[in-house]
Amino acid sequence: MRRLFRNRILGATVVALALVAAACGSGEDSDTEGPTIVVGSTNFGEQEILGEIFAQALENAGYSVETKFQLGTREVVNPALKSGEIDLIAEYTGTLLTFEGGTSSTDSDQTHDDLVTVLEGQGLTALEYAPAQDKNGFVVTAATASEYGLSNVSDLAGQNGNLVLGGPPECPNREFCLIGLGSVYGLDFASFKPLDVGGPLTVAALDGGEIDVGLLFTSDGVIAAKGYVLLEDDKLLQPAENIVPVIRTSVLDEYDSDLSDLLNDVVAEITTAELSELNKRFGLDAEDADALAKEWLADKGF
Amino acid sequence: MIEFLGDVAVWFTEHWDGDNGYLMRLWNTIRLSALATLTAAMIAIPTGALLGHYRRFGVSAVAVVNIGRALPSFGIIALALPITIRIASHVPDGVPIFGSGLGFFPAFVALFALALPPIFTNTFTGVREVDPGTVEAARGMGLTEGKILRSVEIPLASPVIIAGLRISAVQVVATSPLAALVAYGGLGRFIVDGFSIQDNVQIFAGALLVALLAILTEMSFGWLERRLVPGPLQLSAQDSPTRKLRRRSREISLPIPP
Amino acid sequence: MIAQADSSDAFVRWDWIWGHLDLIWEKVVEHLVLTGIALGVGLAMSLVLSGIVLRWRRTYAPITWATGIAYSIPSLALFAFLVPITGFTILTAQIGLVSYTLLILIRNIVAGIDGVDPAVREAAVGMGYSRRRLFFRIELPLALPVIIAGLRIAGVTTIGLVTVTALIGQGGVGFFILRGLNRFFSTEIVLGTLLSVILAVSLDLALLGAERVLTPWSRRQGDAS
Repeated sequence: MRRLFRNRILGATVVALALVAAACGSGEDSDTEGPTIVVGSTNFGEQEILGEIFAQALENAGYSVETKFQLGTREVVNPALKSGEIDLIAEYTGTLLTFEGGTSSTDSDQTHDDLVTVLEGQGLTALEYAPAQDKNGFVVTAATASEYGLSNVSDLAGQNGNLVLGGPPECPNREFCLIGLGSVYGLDFASFKPLDVGGPLTVAALDGGEIDVGLLFTSDGVIAAKGYVLLEDDKLLQPAENIVPVIRTSVLDEYDSDLSDLLNDVVAEITTAELSELNKRFGLDAEDADALAKEWLADKGF
Repeated sequence: MIEFLGDVAVWFTEHWDGDNGYLMRLWNTIRLSALATLTAAMIAIPTGALLGHYRRFGVSAVAVVNIGRALPSFGIIALALPITIRIASHVPDGVPIFGSGLGFFPAFVALFALALPPIFTNTFTGVREVDPGTVEAARGMGLTEGKILRSVEIPLASPVIIAGLRISAVQVVATSPLAALVAYGGLGRFIVDGFSIQDNVQIFAGALLVALLAILTEMSFGWLERRLVPGPLQLSAQDSPTRKLRRRSREISLPIPP
Repeated sequence: MIAQADSSDAFVRWDWIWGHLDLIWEKVVEHLVLTGIALGVGLAMSLVLSGIVLRWRRTYAPITWATGIAYSIPSLALFAFLVPITGFTILTAQIGLVSYTLLILIRNIVAGIDGVDPAVREAAVGMGYSRRRLFFRIELPLALPVIIAGLRIAGVTTIGLVTVTALIGQGGVGFFILRGLNRFFSTEIVLGTLLSVILAVSLDLALLGAERVLTPWSRRQGDAS
């Protein structure tokens, strides 16, 4: 959610004054002195959680941090990162690589390396990637899975013309969605229903039988909570989508390697299972992102 | 700019057919709006007329329109969703109503709720403002209360009642795009879907269609009024003696933007 | 048929609301600021445009036509359409919000000024009032009730519309509606909707109060509002 301009100025002034005070005051923590790091996020829950994790980890280590969450879609946040309106964000290797014009693959390492190269030219640095991934996931209800004997995405070919697919409105335009399902898997659906981005509409439609196959996200807590069957991406349509912190190179240069080390350490601890659990608690139990992040960081010793 | 409009024109030639074409979605929007407005009318007109006849709850009529105007359309539609999902989840398998609780069902519930206030208030005010002398005379002639209501008050109030229907219908049509947020397949789909992929041509085309439909609805009701209401009673023909009625109807004659 | 709906089975979780009061306050303030800017700018623009209309009558039709068109565009479409041009900014939201106020305000300002009894005007002119003094000392105060009536309608409408701006990154209390819609949390939807209604009704009453204070001479002619 966009904070008011006035709040930002106020916040920046306070932070600036605090920095000056800290500089004039103690001489300790000198390696965490530097420009304020602005952590941003796009507009869904997982992003806010990850943003909070990064922000709090940095704060706990003594860096001065500001947050700007819920700015919008990648179309908004990416330019903001490049222009310096925000400095750090959690991204997904495959999708970001494709967004920047590269070609992604299911190889986490390869995708990450390619991403690092592409971003260098943009003044951005991709740090280490997390074990956790968040890909497009096609799910069916347990009942549907047993009725048609479905466990892989390619099993759907046996029901061509029969089933209804539901997902975010942009799915028919997306390589990793309807387009790819057709070209890579040869799938043909009876129809496509535009719903929402892995939210209550998609879930309700699955439950109510209005769609047979729904697009959710693999780190979505709801899949486990509802007992849906996540169809295996056996023909590897979805690229690697590891969580990776992307930071402006100029900010990184202002600090020594402790900054990147810290972020890399944090990121190494994020697993898909844990992320799913956090997502579930945010999405279904309505817990707060900042409280969840705090708890997680405390558990991990950050 | 010209190029953009050219793109829009091309869009119109390409997207008319099929379940996702604009003709189908136009029909879906008309269907939804008409049903919501008519159902609201079926509830609001008798209620408003009865209360107006007995001249009760004067303040409530104005309060209703104020609250009605204060209801945020986005909130009401969003609110309908969890309600209808819950209802739908309690419907046993095999019973073919309500579906999954999304789409038509929540959209209808929300638009119905939004359509009620203008119809109710206009009917109530219209019936209540009928010249008491006329009503007394009718009573003196031996007419029953019901007959007075049906044969005297409602006809005399008809211009205001139809104005209320007009306001309501236009408002429902203009709000209907939000139904796409609860998965309804009306014209709002073009706006919402277009927005998610930043396809301005689609957004513009969808918006254009909705605006045209709203204007058409307004004009149709105008035509209806001219047809159904006797000349001297038409709102456009009234002057000073009924100025109070007119002023009130003007105050409440503005639909809420969607 | 299905397992259960959301895990928070209570439709409204008051404890959640109670625990998030500062966030709620922040959003309420944001909402009021957005509304205030829209009404302020809208009123200013409408006064100017009304002045033009009152001076050159022929402009009334085209101006009404243009603002009427703006009014009939569905708000969602207007915002969605502006985003690629002006971004997910307050400006985009304000362009939309302000244009919806124009029709109502212009109409009411013009009607209000027109409604001033010609006899009063004549008397004032007869007493030597200049054009300017006439406008500010006589016509405007007398037109105030009608203008404020328009302001009330515009205000209530704007508050409802501000919730829609949540879809383009602004939003005030619409933030709760959107978030509740996106994550199965009916409490937030109820909260957002309720707050919007409360704000709208409060604004309406506040303006009504202002009218009473500013125009002690006007007798309410059987007007229940």
